[in-house]
Amino acid sequence: MPDLIPVTILTGYLGAGKTTLLNRILTENHGKKYAVIINEFGELGVDNDLVVDSDEEVFEMNNGCICCTVRGDLIRIIGGLMKRAQKFDGIIVETTGLANPAPVAQTFFVDEDVKAKTRLDAIVTVVDAKHLLARLDDSPEAADQIAFADVIVLNKLDLVTPEELARVEARIRSINRYAEIHHATRGNVDVTKLLGLNAFDLGRVLESVPDFLDEDSHTHNEHLNSISLSLDAPLDPEKFNIWIGHILQTEGQNILRTKGILSYKNEDRRFAFQAVHMIADGDFVAPWKATDKRTSRIVFIGRDLNRPQLRRGFESCAA
Amino acid sequence: MSDFDALLKARGITETLGANITTGVFNRAGSHAAFALGDGSLRLADGKGWSRINAHEGAILALAPDCSVSGFLSGGDDGKFQRVGVDGSVIEIAGFGMKWVDNIASFAHPKSGLLACTVGKFVHLFNADGSKSRSLAHPSTVSGIAFDAKGKRIAASHYNGASLWFTASTSETPRFFEWKGSHLGIAIHPLGEAIVTSMQENALHGWTLPDGKHMRMSGYPSKTESFGFTKSGKWLATGGADAIVLWPFFGGGPMGKPAVELGMSDGAFIKRIACHPEFEVVAAGFDDGSVIVADIMKEKILPVCGPGRGAITALAWNASGSHLALGTESGFAALVDFSKQG
Repeated sequence: MPDLIPVTILTGYLGAGKTTLLNRILTENHGKKYAVIINEFGELGVDNDLVVDSDEEVFEMNNGCICCTVRGDLIRIIGGLMKRAQKFDGIIVETTGLANPAPVAQTFFVDEDVKAKTRLDAIVTVVDAKHLLARLDDSPEAADQIAFADVIVLNKLDLVTPEELARVEARIRSINRYAEIHHATRGNVDVTKLLGLNAFDLGRVLESVPDFLDEDSHTHNEHLNSISLSLDAPLDPEKFNIWIGHILQTEGQNILRTKGILSYKNEDRRFAFQAVHMIADGDFVAPWKATDKRTSRIVFIGRDLNRPQLRRGFESCAA
Repeated sequence: MSDFDALLKARGITETLGANITTGVFNRAGSHAAFALGDGSLRLADGKGWSRINAHEGAILALAPDCSVSGFLSGGDDGKFQRVGVDGSVIEIAGFGMKWVDNIASFAHPKSGLLACTVGKFVHLFNADGSKSRSLAHPSTVSGIAFDAKGKRIAASHYNGASLWFTASTSETPRFFEWKGSHLGIAIHPLGEAIVTSMQENALHGWTLPDGKHMRMSGYPSKTESFGFTKSGKWLATGGADAIVLWPFFGGGPMGKPAVELGMSDGAFIKRIACHPEFEVVAAGFDDGSVIVADIMKEKILPVCGPGRGAITALAWNASGSHLALGTESGFAALVDFSKQG
């Protein structure tokens, strides 16, 4: 297997401090080279040798999935970057403030050429601690960006009181309980907490998931929330495929992300499953350790999720 | 195994160029082949030796023969559209800043030669001397361009279809051929009977000319990155499968007609197709590095080189069809002589 180039997607609402964070990442002395893909309407300059302008051109795949939208410009740009003799350590894709993260993420699931050369490392969302609550009330994109995130940088901490911060964090957790949250002022986050995370290598993420068995947190008016399910009995892969296929086909528009680490019957390797809306991908990863409790875990982040129904379905996949 | 390389050894000159080869073409005279590299250099081979021209800052993304007999046109991710001479001269025709020059085409004619390059959503047309003619705007990034055989029209592929422009007209609106999805490349039938695009969904789409009837050509296991019509226009030769897939453009085809498959490999997919300029013969380069030449009428396959040197990324005949140039992702390049030898 060739070394796949890690790709970090940097999202965040206008004014949240995305470009400041990006410049901070690029100028920090880490000795690594990054190719940066930005939108031409970005308000601030980006300080890097290799910056590529993109037009965020989204198109709908003719593959029967009604919400399978893909960024064609990214496919083209990544193909072009791979031709360069001068190599780099990673790619950072900055999206515009209003962008829905789904097409960017789906690009890395759908296109075979992109999959052959790169891997999605993490979706990092920058939010403004002072204005997030207002943004969440007036724009669905702001909530989607939080729901999609593997890592959330809670920026502009110097502008809020501890009480305001607690409210903002609670609100983020009500949407996405499984993202890592880092506090920041003017984007001062350690780069190692943002890049090279392998967040899509689900084992680590799901192992660190807190409160697996507690009840869902209360949701607000956006109806976005996250739930997790676990099962100690090994799964029948065929049953699981039929069930998850059906769930994503029928509910995929409302389910933004699905991640799972699964224990299949008669299989010593863990199976990592993930999906963005209806587009799913899965592969065997490192084997269970002898000391591991082989618990299958799956997380859904989406709108109006029906926990009892999902739980019954998941449990029915037991071998 | 070494049998597959017999032709390469007996009739070829080879070189290791040290960087990713992105594409390759011959000049119109057929005297030189040029290989474009990911390090920005152009490597020329004239059958006797190799030379290097440092043409671009980043990777060269596009290459075409110039309208003149000996020169080349190159475009790169440094935003430059350039004319490169076999003497090593490099002249900038146009610069586009941070934008990439993704595709280039040219039409040679003593009086009305044309050059074209694509940058983002635009096709920029130039006269043969390099003076700017027009800029053609499209709804999304242009992924491929092709002149028709007479240089009267230029076709461009993009999201949701293709646009066909008259090169001599000043009209701001092209004829638009609509089909939903992302179209990745384009070809025009040599007699002007159809335009065909390749698509993101491992399929090709076509429209008959002038009536614009749809043609769907699907069933590929991977994307068709390269395709072209044979000299007569009877066949559309396509990559993207483990054999050369030939669609018949005669007798009412390709609609309702099965495709012909030639040169089945052992699991490798075709990355590059090059139709012979004189005969109903097609060269095909695979992702395992092997190259074959197929005679469509005789259904005969001739191995040119075996696997193991990286995926084929450059494949081109010279104008007389006597020489084939081939290059790979890992920088292996060769010229193979197919001319009759005494």
